[in-house]
Amino acid sequence: MSGWLNGKRARIEGECPAIASALAAQGASLVDAGDCDIWVHIAPPPPIKLAHELTHAEWRDSLDAGLDRRFLGAKDFAGQCRARGTGGAILFVGAPEQALGADQAAAAGALGNLTKTLGVEWARDGIRVNSVLTRDAGDTLGNLAAYLVSDYAAYVTGAVMGIDLDD
Amino acid sequence: MPVPQHHIVATPPPFDEPPYPADIFAGQTVLVTGGGSGMGLAMAKAFAQGGAQVAVMGRSMERAEEGVAQIAALGVRAHAMSCDVRQPEAIAAAFDEAERELGPIGLLANNAGANFPILAEDISPNAWNAVTRIAIDGTFLCSTEFARRRIARGEGGAIVNNSAQYIWTGFPGDAHSAAAKTAQATMTKKLAADWAPHGIRVNAIAAGFFPHDTSTAGRREGGIAPLQNMIPAGRTGNIWEFGWLSAMTCTPLFGDMTGQVIVQDGGESLRRSLMMPDFVPPRERADGPWGWQ
Repeated sequence: MSGWLNGKRARIEGECPAIASALAAQGASLVDAGDCDIWVHIAPPPPIKLAHELTHAEWRDSLDAGLDRRFLGAKDFAGQCRARGTGGAILFVGAPEQALGADQAAAAGALGNLTKTLGVEWARDGIRVNSVLTRDAGDTLGNLAAYLVSDYAAYVTGAVMGIDLDD
Repeated sequence: MPVPQHHIVATPPPFDEPPYPADIFAGQTVLVTGGGSGMGLAMAKAFAQGGAQVAVMGRSMERAEEGVAQIAALGVRAHAMSCDVRQPEAIAAAFDEAERELGPIGLLANNAGANFPILAEDISPNAWNAVTRIAIDGTFLCSTEFARRRIARGEGGAIVNNSAQYIWTGFPGDAHSAAAKTAQATMTKKLAADWAPHGIRVNAIAAGFFPHDTSTAGRREGGIAPLQNMIPAGRTGNIWEFGWLSAMTCTPLFGDMTGQVIVQDGGESLRRSLMMPDFVPPRERADGPWGWQ
């Protein structure tokens, strides 16, 4: 079963042990910087607060982590892929749209449509873009992430999915 | 227009390199409706590549038997049955027969469907009923038969439904299938919720265009070649990619996944490709990113 990602270099931004171990188990080399074939961005879930109790700074932090950093990172990664003339895979991982506060609802909704947009805009660069929005952090998330960034998912792009019934 | 040479097209591994080990479904039996040809046969083969025994249910016995021959050639036991998925008694009888031949059915792939392009005003009541009821009633009836048996045994299971990429956008020129395929996707979520306490997982693949012998969209002058450049991914799907993802949702690898509808269409649904001209990436449009500035 192992080997979906043999020969691929993956950079993971953010913390998710299940994803890191699944990518490594499938043969990816995990790199901290530089050129890579796969970029996974995991946004930490912001605390749950009622909208009228969120400060603007807290709101901005959530949007920075859940949306802006993801776009800018994806843009850099795609630029590297184009420069070397090979494709690549981007995966965004985070909490479901309605699971936390209004900050998450805004960030995740924006991210979903960004995923669909970039998946199409960069399709002919061979760059695929997908999102998993879930509270699951177990083996299924790891395996799903490894699948989505592998060539087995070559026909999956612009897709936004969850894992369980709450997603 | 062909896909320009400098575009990069992502491709999957070949059919003989499935993403899971050959024994991942060992000791299990899958029932695939409409499994004798096309996308159902691709699902059946994918389960067989993981070691499942395969029961194929089809309206045409001859076609089911042809499919079973191909499935058995992969080294698993397989059994062909004729059944109309709109008839609950016939479904129960077919489950009985499959379980006598192959043992308890713990996996179900709802693929049976009919589809043909037609203007809405020309769809007769019979045509409407055929397309919608095979997919909607058929998926419901086969799934409930499956679930009642699993619940009675005190065992879980997994169901995968073959839905379509046009379920959220509509499909002008194919109104019967547009309705039918969306019902499959939306019932997927509710069936998953109803049966989660029993360990039965239910997911769907919203599939794009995976050409095969019986697909209608490929029947045109020039075959499927002109379609490749309409799709953002730069190609139509390879049918085994669809089979693999369908089967994968039923493996322990995705053991916590339920109630999901996964779009596998090379970006097709995001630009309505089969009704639009060739896809030109925003960067390469002569008049700017929107094409008309």
